[in-house]
Amino acid sequence: MKPHLISVVAAAFVIWAVATGAPAQQQINSGQMATSLAGVSNTKLSLTGAEMRQAVLDNIRNYPGALPPHALAFPQLENLAQFVVEVDFDFNSAVIRPSSYRTIGAIADALHNPILLGYGFLVIGHTDSVGGRQYNVGLSQRRADAIRDALIDPFNVNPAVLEAVGMGEEQLRDPKHPTSGVNRRVQLVNVGKKFCFGRSGEQFVCP
Amino acid sequence: MNREISLVCALWLVLAAVLPVNAQTMSYADAISQLAAACRNDIARYCKGVPLGPRLKTCFDTNEARMSPQCQQTRAAVYTSISRRAAAQRNIADACGADIPRLCGTSYADAHLVECLLSVSPAAMSPQCNQTFTDTGWRTERARQ
Repeated sequence: MKPHLISVVAAAFVIWAVATGAPAQQQINSGQMATSLAGVSNTKLSLTGAEMRQAVLDNIRNYPGALPPHALAFPQLENLAQFVVEVDFDFNSAVIRPSSYRTIGAIADALHNPILLGYGFLVIGHTDSVGGRQYNVGLSQRRADAIRDALIDPFNVNPAVLEAVGMGEEQLRDPKHPTSGVNRRVQLVNVGKKFCFGRSGEQFVCP
Repeated sequence: MNREISLVCALWLVLAAVLPVNAQTMSYADAISQLAAACRNDIARYCKGVPLGPRLKTCFDTNEARMSPQCQQTRAAVYTSISRRAAAQRNIADACGADIPRLCGTSYADAHLVECLLSVSPAAMSPQCNQTFTDTGWRTERARQ
């Protein structure tokens, strides 16, 4: 489908930006983000953020030590409209660096785009393999929370449409180079329509 | 109902008096990167480790007197623009209350309404509706897609 192709193109943009060492500002713009997130299928996602967090912890408990040969997967998410960006944080911290403020602002611009009105989104944080797996789950959760917090204030995104999930290093983007920077990323996923709107603009949970 | 409309009109007049006419709001991306550029040194010095969000705004307020004039000026413009864009997106159904039935034949404040307003020429809108719709940034965001 077209939206899927667009998200691949969007991902290609990001990879290009990394490969050429272009600054974070050269990542996809808010319009491309909005287009990547639009066109979600009508099937409602039957996977909650809490279930994802539990699956991450179970994965570490069931396969302790080194990462298992087959990475943790959420097939339900694979066909949903989404994009990936890099966000710079202070070392071992959930504080977003000013160099990435623009990226957060652009995500906010995209989420306020009328084509995404009423949709819900996952903000999924990923780390590289430096540090313990359990620690990385906590760090990526705090980082995803920090992005969610900034989208809400100062950028006025409705808190009810945003769920943050920390994936740690359980889904490396480049498993052959587990410490590579390309693994540190944030994934925005459209999980479907959450709110509908009434005659005077009041929102309610879609029937 | 009439009182509501006159309240909205009064509010709009106050805003119009305070802000330059036809000024545009910045995208959130442009606004916050202007802040990051103009206040880079001040953030590093006075607000290091403070997360982007309400605490950063508080840190700016607390340290205002010490911050560079360039940062102070940019910060004021940035936060004004952000709240003006947010207010416009929130209030579009009110600001265009008289235009919507005439131009769009609907009063649903949803994506279809915005699509309709995007398709209407600015000249066909009342000045108040056009200014607020411009402030939402939805025309410029559509052009980026």
